[in-house]
Amino acid sequence: MANEYELNDVEVWDGNFAASQALRQAQVDVVAAYPITPSTPIVEGYGGYVANGYVDGEFVMVESEHAAMSGCIGASAAGGRVATATSSQGFALMAEVLYQASGMRLPIVLTVVNRALASPLNVRGDHSDMYLGRDSGWIQIDAFNAQEAYDLPLCAFKIGEHLDVRLPVMVHQDGFTTSHKAQNVYPMKDQIAYNFIGKFVPVDEMLDFTRPVTHGAQTEEDWHYEHKAKQHKALMDSRTVIDDVFAKFKELTGREYKRVETYMMEDAEVALVLLGSSVETAVLAAKQLRDEEGIKVGIVAPRCLRPFPYDLIRDALDTTSLKAVCCLDKSAPGGAMGALFNEVSAAAYTTKARPLMSNYIYGLGGRDFAVDEAKRIMKEQVAHANAGHITTDIQQFSGLRGPKLGFFQTRRG
Amino acid sequence: MVEIRWHSRAGQGAVTGAKGLGSVVATTGKQVQAYALYGSAKRGAAMNAYNRIDDEPIVNQETKMFPDYVFVIDPALAFTDDITKNDKPDTQYIITTHLSKDELIAKIPALQDKAERTYVVDCMQISLDTIGRAMPNTPVLGAFMKVSKLYELDFFLDNMKKVLSKFPQKIIDANMEAITRAYNEVK
Amino acid sequence: MSITGSAIGTDKRGIRELGGEEKLGWDEVEQGVVLSSFDGSTENAAFLKPEEREYSDFNSYTATVASWRIIKPVYNRDICIDCQNCWVWCPDTSIISRDKQMLGIDYDHCKGCGVCVEVCPTNPKSLLMFNEASDNDAELAGWPVKEKKEK
Repeated sequence: MANEYELNDVEVWDGNFAASQALRQAQVDVVAAYPITPSTPIVEGYGGYVANGYVDGEFVMVESEHAAMSGCIGASAAGGRVATATSSQGFALMAEVLYQASGMRLPIVLTVVNRALASPLNVRGDHSDMYLGRDSGWIQIDAFNAQEAYDLPLCAFKIGEHLDVRLPVMVHQDGFTTSHKAQNVYPMKDQIAYNFIGKFVPVDEMLDFTRPVTHGAQTEEDWHYEHKAKQHKALMDSRTVIDDVFAKFKELTGREYKRVETYMMEDAEVALVLLGSSVETAVLAAKQLRDEEGIKVGIVAPRCLRPFPYDLIRDALDTTSLKAVCCLDKSAPGGAMGALFNEVSAAAYTTKARPLMSNYIYGLGGRDFAVDEAKRIMKEQVAHANAGHITTDIQQFSGLRGPKLGFFQTRRG
Repeated sequence: MVEIRWHSRAGQGAVTGAKGLGSVVATTGKQVQAYALYGSAKRGAAMNAYNRIDDEPIVNQETKMFPDYVFVIDPALAFTDDITKNDKPDTQYIITTHLSKDELIAKIPALQDKAERTYVVDCMQISLDTIGRAMPNTPVLGAFMKVSKLYELDFFLDNMKKVLSKFPQKIIDANMEAITRAYNEVK
Repeated sequence: MSITGSAIGTDKRGIRELGGEEKLGWDEVEQGVVLSSFDGSTENAAFLKPEEREYSDFNSYTATVASWRIIKPVYNRDICIDCQNCWVWCPDTSIISRDKQMLGIDYDHCKGCGVCVEVCPTNPKSLLMFNEASDNDAELAGWPVKEKKEK
């Protein structure tokens, strides 16, 4: 039995420490990890809890992130509650194995501290690694601050391990901006947090010798498609479980999470859609702009990147007052429009309002996202709305030095 | 909202100091942020740490700030860093130096018109005398208590003891002495 | 002397053609492509003979590849020295051996590759390949004699 960890009602934790405490309270059985900046303190923390008797589990040191996720898959298939953490290059090296974890329906929790992908080499935060996980079949949940970096892994275990889901879950937080910024965090007592998640219920575990099973079977065209379709349906259907777990979490803590967070959208005429820690900065900017200039700005933030909340994004954007929406992508787009822009635009196209949709790339490699810059982008949306068409290039770059860079013009208006 | 920018060298404990201040402030029901701008910096490289303190939950995740207080905890950085960056008319400066306030201001053009909001204290000498090595992060908080009147010294000392509770008693005592000396010596 | 089928009623060896399974829809396939080898209890399964275990349809034991064979191995007990070479090398676990004594060929899972004959060290060989349609007893009656080494 693990020792109880003494916690104050309010702690000042950074996102990394918060996530490591969540892993401890979940009493994770196995962490196989190859630590990488800026996520290192999460698994370092877990290792410390094991060494000091605060968690009854095992820390497995491996030779790469590929091996880390492979170890997690083995431990999860064996029948344990399993988690690890990574960032950036480590996430990229893990990518091949991520698909195995989801296809094998193993409810591993991966705390991803978002960081730019090289080259150029950079340890600071952007969403390149988070976007790399988009098609991996994992549930992806995004924490915007340290409190959420503690709350959401607790929810992640409960979601992924649900018998109707059984899928791995990534919980993202922004490198440095969230992972290394200490803020007030209100933790639960150990027993309350553990009871919220519940005891791990193994499914098809390899250590059940009364029912030997084969994991990782090969299929060809005769079976593969059906299995992937079943997996996709489980991921799509996890929406209701996610909603339910968030509702239970609110009952317990008073802290409310939704698959899509919306702020001031009821009467919004223009809106920004974005992810991560920038959401909070944008909400602050929107409030200030409403107070200062009476501009009706709203913010839409997908809490859940996968399954993509097509339903709730559409609901959020389907207001008659809404005229222009800007999607901000914090990932190098690699020869396309930003991924968030593409996905949100597809949902917006099915609304009655069909607002003008434009795209900003911003914050690459940890470039600061300023309140003033958020306001400037919001005012630009007002200009689009007033003109009835997008008055700038559809894709632009925020906070970039050098001549103005942009691509594609609208044919509407 | 109170905003603080620390000018420090990696290894001088600015992040620990900022988090320690945040931990004390959080016990009084206030909301805090403590963060730093560093990454692959090696020990000795100039870096910044930051605090935000407010009564409401803090949602501003922008790194840049217009500080109410600037702590310069390395003597040389007062000369080499842009310590008055994003200055407001009432920004207050607490600078570690062995020089007198007049001597320091005479050598730093950016501080010429800020004499009435510049404070000096020799956190380096204080930490060498008390802690036994150059660790100016806790003494500057003593000076900050004096300048800002945020908390009474005794209240701050009591809470700081809890923050440092994982350290040996000798270290805790040395830090308490350092904070107290800086509180009394800041000018 | 080969073993085909079994006297034990539960034996499901080779009851279906490999690859001839019903193709299930996405809603019926096993979650996570997890395949269970046994139906029901596996208590003491490690100590039971294969024909006594309750293999599931996911286990290749219940499938047969007999129809794949063009030629088949025939086993001659009179010459065999029970060296177990064929048992080790058979890629389809189709040499039946109990207590290190060779009993014969599992014709449900043998696909007629001939590896067992290649590795047989006796002179003449204790296993030889013949046409699938040929009669085992007739082939045994006409088994080759020991070859003399040329000096």
